[in-house]
Amino acid sequence: MHNLIADYLNKVVSGCSAKVNEVSIGDKSITIDSSFVLEVCRALKTSSEFEFNVLQVITGTDYPDRIEISYILASFTKNLELILKANLPRGDKSNLPKINSVVSVWSAANFQERETYDMIGVDFLGHPDLRRILCPYDWDGHPLRRDYVVQEKYLDMVVNPPEKNNTDDQLFGKRLKEQLGDPKKVSASWKDSSASEESEAKDGE
Amino acid sequence: MSSHTNTNENKIILGDQEVLKSDLLTLNMGPQHPATHGVLRVEIKTDSEIVVDAIPHLGYLHRCFEKHAENVDYRGVIPFVDRMDYLAAMSMEWGYALAVEKMLGTEVPKRAEYIRILVAELQRIASHLVFFGTYGIDLGAFTVFLYCFEDREEILRLFEELSGARMLYNYIWIGGVWNDITDDQLARVAKFVDRFEGELHKYNNLVGENKIFIGRTANVGIITREQALDYGATGPVLRGSGVKNDLRKDRTYGMYDKFEFDIPVGSGEKGTTGDCWDRYNVRIREMFESVKIIRQVLAGIEEGPVMGKVPKIIKVPAGEIYMRTECPRGELGYHLISDGGKTPYRLKVKSSCFTHVSLLPAIAPGQMVADLVASIGSIDIVLGEVDR
Repeated sequence: MHNLIADYLNKVVSGCSAKVNEVSIGDKSITIDSSFVLEVCRALKTSSEFEFNVLQVITGTDYPDRIEISYILASFTKNLELILKANLPRGDKSNLPKINSVVSVWSAANFQERETYDMIGVDFLGHPDLRRILCPYDWDGHPLRRDYVVQEKYLDMVVNPPEKNNTDDQLFGKRLKEQLGDPKKVSASWKDSSASEESEAKDGE
Repeated sequence: MSSHTNTNENKIILGDQEVLKSDLLTLNMGPQHPATHGVLRVEIKTDSEIVVDAIPHLGYLHRCFEKHAENVDYRGVIPFVDRMDYLAAMSMEWGYALAVEKMLGTEVPKRAEYIRILVAELQRIASHLVFFGTYGIDLGAFTVFLYCFEDREEILRLFEELSGARMLYNYIWIGGVWNDITDDQLARVAKFVDRFEGELHKYNNLVGENKIFIGRTANVGIITREQALDYGATGPVLRGSGVKNDLRKDRTYGMYDKFEFDIPVGSGEKGTTGDCWDRYNVRIREMFESVKIIRQVLAGIEEGPVMGKVPKIIKVPAGEIYMRTECPRGELGYHLISDGGKTPYRLKVKSSCFTHVSLLPAIAPGQMVADLVASIGSIDIVLGEVDR
């Protein structure tokens, strides 16, 4: 099925370079060039063969070298499901990665894109109302980035005050303390292969 | 101050009279308001009683579950999952367990599958009963709330015996369920569903056929079929709009393919297809279908273990999966990305309530303020799942 969709996309949207990610376990997906996302989504929705009439979710994943945006589409008429992916550079605070908004294709994209902007930090060009949605409107940073560090103060309130911090008895609290020397910075940093092996030996038996 | 200069701006001609021009009034509904079912704030712009615009503000219950999930091992995620939709925690756990099991290739014992369906359907009834009761309160009918919570109490008592907790169970584990169910408890479930089916007919006659209730809900908060699909609505909201879609049938999971049940769809019986009464009616009929499924579970349940073979330290092979399940409020999707480690690399939750809140600005304009309460109640959101 995925190969058919990829062929269709390559035929209809020239230059989108749709490529099927073959997997042995879990779900397959299709990766496209991020600059063609709007055209591809429109083509998928209007195609009579696949008819992806529902946008389930837009989500982002932070990797060391890129941000991967996943569009999970479903067709309720043909009973299909598709994970569509686009890779973006990571960018930084002042220069967020940019991708076209698909609100004009599915209205469901409105809240999903706002959440992705809020949590991962991706700028959706052409979105009618790109505000934060889950964090406060004046929050700093994008929490689901792997290198996110909680801001120290928000509106004169201390974020994560030490007396309320109860991470000592938790696995990640211990590891973070060793790595960062500061339990206040609640964040998953990049996986350190040697550290995880150590803790595994401890937890094993 | 002289008012001469502003006369024309402040007054308008209405009929043959010159009256004061009215401005739009901004009204904050929530975050502490019983009709918002939690901590949802809806900023309403009203022209006298008519809603012109409704802007939902979310995040008052945001705990960043997804970030927590990146830091705990696969088993440790389950208690966090419970705290999303706290009125349907069993369904939340099941979806997550299925996602991890599919990646691991774990086989779940037959008895555990039966128990999972049993608790999930009981949970569906319990969750819909909360909707039913609170929806009555939203519209000014208090009686039904007491009836509903009495029946829900029996389900919660059973869950408490099974798992030790009344709402946040941590009962469905990766590979099976935590605790076996006794024959005595199964007999109690059988007794409960027999009694409950009759009671539900009674409640439905009391509320659903009530003229005032119909007046408050029929032709109110209409979500058309196109709107529902465009906004990605799922579950009872989508079915209320006349789309026959249920994951238990369409993309079957667990052992649902072996059970017989119907999918209720709204048909505009009392008004227009997709109005509040349709969504209410779909949920009531779903409870009858759940009773049907529970009866089949009780007839078919087998003896055996309740826990499959799962490694002591769960390490999901690198890859990704998107697992959708049908929860009481709609589709719940887990997008699990693993890099082969002990913790999920990324766990994204597709929450149906979050999607349904985005429908509010589309259906609110033109309604009365009191009808907006009926609309919010009929899409049945739980803010724990909206904000995660």
